[in-house]
Amino acid sequence: MHDGKRARGMKGTARNLLIHLAVIAAAFVCVYPLLRMFSVSLRPGDKLFSADLSLIPAGASFRAYSDLLRDTMFLRWLWNSLVITTATSFMGVSLASTAAYAFSRFRFPGRRSGMLLLLASQMIPAGMLILPLFLMIMKMGLMNTYLGMIIAYSVSSLPFSIWILKGYYDTIPRSLEEAALVDGTSRVGAFWRVVLPLSTPALSIAFLFNFTAAWNEYLVARVVLFSAKQYTWTLGLFELQGQYITQWGMFAAGSMLVTLPVLAVFLYSSKWLISGLTLGGIKG
Amino acid sequence: MASVSFKDITKSFKDTPVLKGVSLDIEDHEFMVIVGPSGCGKTTLLRMLAGLEEVSSGEITIGGARVDGLPPSRREIAMVFQDYALYPHMTVEENMSFSLRLRKFPPAEIASRVAEAAGILQLGDLLKRMPRQLSGGQRQRVAIGRAIVRKPKVFLFDEPLSNLDAKLREEMRVEISKLYRRLNATILYVTHDQVEAMTLATRIAVMDRGVIQQVGAPMEVYRRPRNMFVAGFIGSPAMNLLPGRLSVSGGGVVFGNGSMELALPRGLLPEQEARDGREVVLGVRPENVAVESPAGDGLSDELKGELEARELLGHRENLYVKAGGTRLLAAMDRFFDRAPGSAVGLRLNYRDMHVFDKAGGLRLSA
Repeated sequence: MHDGKRARGMKGTARNLLIHLAVIAAAFVCVYPLLRMFSVSLRPGDKLFSADLSLIPAGASFRAYSDLLRDTMFLRWLWNSLVITTATSFMGVSLASTAAYAFSRFRFPGRRSGMLLLLASQMIPAGMLILPLFLMIMKMGLMNTYLGMIIAYSVSSLPFSIWILKGYYDTIPRSLEEAALVDGTSRVGAFWRVVLPLSTPALSIAFLFNFTAAWNEYLVARVVLFSAKQYTWTLGLFELQGQYITQWGMFAAGSMLVTLPVLAVFLYSSKWLISGLTLGGIKG
Repeated sequence: MASVSFKDITKSFKDTPVLKGVSLDIEDHEFMVIVGPSGCGKTTLLRMLAGLEEVSSGEITIGGARVDGLPPSRREIAMVFQDYALYPHMTVEENMSFSLRLRKFPPAEIASRVAEAAGILQLGDLLKRMPRQLSGGQRQRVAIGRAIVRKPKVFLFDEPLSNLDAKLREEMRVEISKLYRRLNATILYVTHDQVEAMTLATRIAVMDRGVIQQVGAPMEVYRRPRNMFVAGFIGSPAMNLLPGRLSVSGGGVVFGNGSMELALPRGLLPEQEARDGREVVLGVRPENVAVESPAGDGLSDELKGELEARELLGHRENLYVKAGGTRLLAAMDRFFDRAPGSAVGLRLNYRDMHVFDKAGGLRLSA
């Protein structure tokens, strides 16, 4: 029996080891490009194409960063992206939270087919939607504006957010809202004071999805925005790609800088994401 | 506090009628328990009073004022839910004060009401806890506390004890009973457990299939069930119901079902009901089946039976006896040391015997 225990222990250790190896390998695959990019962003101008693999290259400097910030409209692009992305995320989540509530709690004709339609819309490749989006935004006179971008982005991530939130609302017992109604809230009050606070995990997932999708978007921006002043960072960075010369150092530096806001949002919302896992036990 | 009145309430979900014209008056300060099997419509009726379910037709009044059509918030009722429905993101204190904060009560008043309710329910130490940190019984008390602080016109309880284990359920039953005496409130309480109904209620309403079968004080319903459903539902273990036929000869009435014959005493049945050949059902509670008992006043002749099975419950014993083709349950308050298979003699107590019409189920005996 003692031997059996030891064998089981060994087996456990071996399994742990394997799992760790796999996780480390996966982490390496994720982090390696980032490290390379960081390395490139530090290289002096004449070493850009060297095959040197060291993380901090010889003669490393932040020159590319300062050039980027000084010589281009990078900060402006970053600001444009930030405004569009933040507004998109808030608008997307608030629209989705109420729409999902209706899908979760009310019975109305078209409820099932509506949900299916939303799902189906996710199957259409983004490229196919470019032309209709372009036409719509042009008809609305919103070309080259923040608002045009915000509408295009928040609408396109709405179906996913609605699905996520509807699924979460379905797990919240109705009796909680009924208790709130009896306690004196209106239907809207019950949603606002009980359902929404309990849904923070799902809301933060939806927010994060909206944020990263809008932050990294290129295609729609390419079509809607045409003056460099209105560019988002994705368009702006491609400006650095000239016909004869590409500023790879600045490109890498810019790429490093744009990961920071996403990282910040992710770290901030991660506490809600984790609390989502432990919230459970809403019922007894 | 206030009285409550349901008048001709009907309710259908799509084409399925759930309530078929229910009328019920609950007096001021009364503890009314609606009891019935699941699906009988009792919870729907309660939820209609709360305003969580719409009325298809009929009227509901609280304190004389019509409330159907009003939103729940304007009915001045408080409700304790089956799953407690405590807000998971609020502390016990916030849960209890939620309704008062919504109504913009002054903070001092809120604090004093919460403290008072916490005192009554011994929740003082738990006020800062979150619901998930509480045991089932504690959650139950918080749910009751949340109702008490409101000082509502009517308290509604929707099967509040059904999620608790047996021991805790007994404890909470006593707590609720004490609470009622202390608050002297109007309470409407819904349960499927007839023990809760018997022990808590000032009056019971027994429901089945969307119809109120009988309303009355617990002992009245127990002693004089209006029909066969009530007879079988109220009382634990359940009443023996023996189908058979009456035969009238001379002045005597005899009940027979092929395996036994019982001469029914004069006065058990009104004369006009005792028709020869009438199909009836005889009801005898298990505690009114005497085992191995000498002949006595009010007891039937001895029926010969065979002991099939026994259940020793500690304070009493249930005996399952087969007499001819008839199975009878006898409840004894002493230990009956006899092996299954042995012959036993039974006598039925006429004083608490019930006779029902087999076709309509209505009570025939006086």
